[in-house]
Amino acid sequence: MYTWITNENDRAQWQAFVDAAKKKDPAFNLTLEGPSFNDYWTKVKTRLSSSGAPCIITTQAARAQELKDLTVPLDDMVKSNNIDVSMYNKAMIDGLTVDGSLRGIPYDAEPVVLYYNKDLLSAAGVKEPTLNYTTAQFTSDLKALTKDGVTGLAVPPGFGSGPGLPLAFANGNEPVKDGKLDLTNQGLVQDQQFAFDLAAKEKVATAPQASDGTDVPEQQFMSGKAAMLIDGPWMYDTLTTKTQGKVGIAVVPSTSGKSVGMIQGSAFAIAASCKDKEAAFKNIMKITTPEVVGAVGAARGTVPSVESAVKDWAGNKPAADVAVVEALLKSGRPLVTTPTWNQVETNFTQYSGDGFRGSKSAQEILSTIANSAK
Amino acid sequence: MTALPTLTVKNAKKPARVTGHGKLAAVYLAPGMLGFLIFIVVPLVASLVISMFDWPLFGTPKFVGLDNYVRMLTGDPVFWTVLGNTLFFAVSYTVLNLVLALALSTWLHNLGSWGPFFRVLFFVPVVTPMVANALVWRLMLTDDGVVNSFLANFGIHGPSWLSDSQLAMGSLIAMSVWQGIGYNIIVLGAGLNGISPNLLEAARIDGAGAWQRFVRVVLPMLSPSLFFCTVMTIIGSFKVFTQPYLLTLGGPGESTNTIVLYLYRNGFSFDKLGYASALAWALFVIVMLITALQFSQQKRLVNYDN
Repeated sequence: MYTWITNENDRAQWQAFVDAAKKKDPAFNLTLEGPSFNDYWTKVKTRLSSSGAPCIITTQAARAQELKDLTVPLDDMVKSNNIDVSMYNKAMIDGLTVDGSLRGIPYDAEPVVLYYNKDLLSAAGVKEPTLNYTTAQFTSDLKALTKDGVTGLAVPPGFGSGPGLPLAFANGNEPVKDGKLDLTNQGLVQDQQFAFDLAAKEKVATAPQASDGTDVPEQQFMSGKAAMLIDGPWMYDTLTTKTQGKVGIAVVPSTSGKSVGMIQGSAFAIAASCKDKEAAFKNIMKITTPEVVGAVGAARGTVPSVESAVKDWAGNKPAADVAVVEALLKSGRPLVTTPTWNQVETNFTQYSGDGFRGSKSAQEILSTIANSAK
Repeated sequence: MTALPTLTVKNAKKPARVTGHGKLAAVYLAPGMLGFLIFIVVPLVASLVISMFDWPLFGTPKFVGLDNYVRMLTGDPVFWTVLGNTLFFAVSYTVLNLVLALALSTWLHNLGSWGPFFRVLFFVPVVTPMVANALVWRLMLTDDGVVNSFLANFGIHGPSWLSDSQLAMGSLIAMSVWQGIGYNIIVLGAGLNGISPNLLEAARIDGAGAWQRFVRVVLPMLSPSLFFCTVMTIIGSFKVFTQPYLLTLGGPGESTNTIVLYLYRNGFSFDKLGYASALAWALFVIVMLITALQFSQQKRLVNYDN
């Protein structure tokens, strides 16, 4: 399988799939190869153009449009294998349907959450966030937390992985409308500017370098140098076990307090260059059964794509954390993108440094990107 | 003395045409020419052909004629920014590299037994992988990296070396000079070794001071090596890719975006192989023109007497 392997967390996640599938079929095995997540979207195209390319690749509902030429429509195989796709999260299935055909089987449906360090919060006298967390409260909490070598919020330089887009989603502002880029809508610009200002004006977040990736802010959070981090539930196991301090999750703050979740989901797809598509499909079905996605959810914290399996995910987690994810799943909207999304992400990473340091406004940056990624 | 008479032999037979040499030459040249054809000519022509298409990495190409070139020259402001950045980098880097390499190799030449040790030390960055070098420099230059932590000891709040649009290019140039200088030091050192000490001795006897000896004797005698270093350094500097890719990703904004990074992104990240090929050809033409310009100045500036 060709997939993203950014760090040990990713590798452990894929291994959890293999281990869970082995419970039913001990002979099951899957070899893994792949670059970091940021490089994956560039490298998958060249990898599949070369000979001996793997048959199974991973994709996302967000990137299904971009990879449509690399993935095989699965509808016929779904029918001939009697698979009931209605058991998967509907938003994910919709996101994975390109030109009327399903391109991937989703294994998760994950709303982005706000991780916080409970010990740092109690040391600063800050109350833990509730399900109605507002951005006003968020800003004042970050101000109280930024002291003695600790920063309030750790920030990556990307767009989808950064705080700006989840904060915009929480307020109901999305970057794509009717299948076209809509980066300059007023709401999105304002929310991105709010995210920039946290570093540039309020100085409660560290301005990132373009080359940081998501690793650097995650390391800052885990070492206790930052008190909060907006990231996905796929990091749940790593962040809750490896951080210096107890960790909890909360909804992403919104202006009104009613947060709309930003749901990102990943899926397994079959490469267009695959020689034995039936065999690849059967392997995919082995790792996307409710039992397997539930087991991975329990072990790693990835929220399963099958509703009946969410209880397996919830089983070993604190009730407060489960409540957060359930609330966000209920209100959530999927992140869908356009075929030029890679260009949006690449350009945003280049320009975000200026935004977080106050030398360019969100309006300028988002308009420039909207013009070049048409 | 009278000149020797030239003899013209009447009805001299022209020497018989030596046949077979052409064919033999072709056989000897074949391996090299084959390599040249396969690895240089064919890709060049293919690249030209691709540049006339709208060619996604995975999908069907569409013929668009000269649209990519038109777009590059008129419809893409980033191209001119990127070209400007590359030119700025090429000129600054080459000048700094050559001046420092000349100064250092002259110093090392007169250093005696410690010379070879320092020469190796300066050459080590040249042979270490550029990726490793870039990552080490990234650690040094990040906002709370080694350099800023060191400055903080003196109470100086170090600037953002990689994320300030005024400083980012400078940081890139500094890193590149550190990495590339060793090669020119070795070449210029060899050139300095080739200057006969008698010449310098004669100049000293004639009353020339150290600076005059350097400018009037050493530099002209060193001009072939200097010419080689200039041409190679400029060509290499136009191809700068790894440093911006790893240190700044072309940011902040487009201030460190260079033409090779831009064409890599267009080809492999944005799926526009046709446009990337057009950019590659633009780079090829520019470098060719600059090299031709340098070679045209050769007679005037380079002294091949020994």
